[in-house]
Amino acid sequence: MLTTGETVFGLERVTVQRGGALLLDDVSCRIPARSCTALVGPSGAGKSTLLRLLNRLEEPSDGVVRLHGRPLPELDVLAVRRRVGLVGQQPVLLTDRILDDLRVGRPDLDAEQAAGLLERVGLPPGMLERATAGLSGGEAQRVCLARALAVGPEVLLLDEPTSALDAVSAKAVETAVRDLVAAGTTAVLVSHNTAQARRIAGHALVLDHGRLTAAGAIDRIAYLDEGP
Amino acid sequence: MNPAVPTWAGVGASLVLVAVAVAVAWRQQLHLAREIAVAALRAGIQLAAVGAVLLLVLRHTGLAGAAGWLVVMVLIAGRVAGRRAAGLPRALPVATAAIAAGTAATLGVLLALGVVSAQARVVIPVGGMVVSGAMQATALVLTRLREEVRTARPAIEARLALGLSSADAFAPHLRTTVRTALIPVVDATRTVGLISLPGAMTGLILAGVDPLTAIRYQIVVMYMLLAAAALAALIAARLAERALFDDAHRLRPADADG
Repeated sequence: MLTTGETVFGLERVTVQRGGALLLDDVSCRIPARSCTALVGPSGAGKSTLLRLLNRLEEPSDGVVRLHGRPLPELDVLAVRRRVGLVGQQPVLLTDRILDDLRVGRPDLDAEQAAGLLERVGLPPGMLERATAGLSGGEAQRVCLARALAVGPEVLLLDEPTSALDAVSAKAVETAVRDLVAAGTTAVLVSHNTAQARRIAGHALVLDHGRLTAAGAIDRIAYLDEGP
Repeated sequence: MNPAVPTWAGVGASLVLVAVAVAVAWRQQLHLAREIAVAALRAGIQLAAVGAVLLLVLRHTGLAGAAGWLVVMVLIAGRVAGRRAAGLPRALPVATAAIAAGTAATLGVLLALGVVSAQARVVIPVGGMVVSGAMQATALVLTRLREEVRTARPAIEARLALGLSSADAFAPHLRTTVRTALIPVVDATRTVGLISLPGAMTGLILAGVDPLTAIRYQIVVMYMLLAAAALAALIAARLAERALFDDAHRLRPADADG
C-alpha cells in the first residue's frame, strides 16, 4: 500500500450505492501529492465514480472522503471544486470563443494569463480569439484542460481524457498531461489504457467490480502487466 | 334577448354542422365518424354543465365563489402542465406553484389598478384566460427544461466542476428555455388581429359591443397574457432548477428524475 509522502485525498471505507447497484464497495485508499495516480480496472469497475467523489459530483452512501485530512462535507463545496479541477472524457466547450471558454471559471482572466494557459497545454497562444467550433478533438480537449487550470486547482482529475480522441490528438493531450505532472501537479487519471497509465502515473489503484484490488507504485502493479 | 345570440333551437339546428363533419368522415372512411359525434356531444354537455355551475356561482356566491373557481382551475392546470413535464423532479408542485403565482400576480395587478372590476362575472373569465396562458407557458418551459437537462448534462457538470454554483451553471440553459417558452405568446401578441381575431374581442363583438370598445378589452387581455406567461415561465424554471440540484450543487442523477 502507499504509505509515504504527503496525502491529498484519503478515502475511508467508502461505499457508493445507486438504484440498487453497488458502484464502490468499502474502498479505502489515499492519493499522494505532487504525482499522478492512475485509477485502472475494467469497464464498470467504479473508476469514474471514485474520481467524481473527489470533487463532490458524487456523494458516498457510506464512508468518508478527506481532503488534507478534513472530511469533504465540512468544506465549502464550491471552494473544493476550485481546488480540484476535472477534465472529462468528451471535450465539452461552453462558449463560442476559446478566450471566453477559459474565463468560465475565472471571469477576471486577462489575455496574457490566458495565452500562458494555452502554452501550458501545448496550444499556440494565438488561438485565443479563435472560435471553439471547428477545433479538433485534441485541441478541444486541451482547451478544456486549460480551462480547468485557469481556476488554479491544486489537483487535476482526468477521466479518460484521451479515450474519445484519435491517435494524434490523444498523443497531444497525453503530452500536455505529462508535462503538467512533471511540473509537480497532483493528478488522478482514470484510464483503461494501461500503457498510457504507465507512461503518465507514478502510482496506481486497481478497481474491480467496485472493490479496490491493488494499490501501490505503478511498476509494482501486476494488473498493468497484463493489459494493452 | 340579444338577437345576435343563438337560441337553444339555434344550437340544436347547428347540429347539422356536426352531421356534415360526420358524413365527411364516414364517406372518406376516416374512421373518425364516431369520435366526432362523441366529441361534439361531449363538448355540448361539458359546456352546458359549466354554464349551469357558472350561473350558480355568479348568482349566489359572489367573489368568494369566483376565487374558489379560480383555485380549481389552477389545480387542474397544474396537473396538466405537471403531467407534460413528467420525468422532472417534483413536476406537479412546481407546475402548480408557478401557475398559481403567475395568475395571482397578474390578476392582482389588474384588480389593484382597477383595470378590471372585482366582480365574479369578470374575475372568472378573465382569470380563466390568465390561468390558461400561465399553464401553456409553464408546460412549455418544463418540457423544454427536461430536454435541456438531458442533453446538456455534460455542459452543466463541466460548469459545476469549475466551481460555479448550480444557479450560475444552469443560467445559460435557463435563459434559453424561458426564451423559447415565451416565443409563442410574444408572436401571438405581435400578430394579434392580423392573423386571427382574438377570442375576447370576438365574443364582445358578437354580443353587440362596438369594435373600438371590444379592442380595449383585447389589449388588456394580450398584456395580461404576456405577464402571466412571463411570470409563470420564470417561476417554473426557477423552482425546477431548485428541484434539479441538491444542496451540494450537484445535478441530481438522471435515474432519480421523477
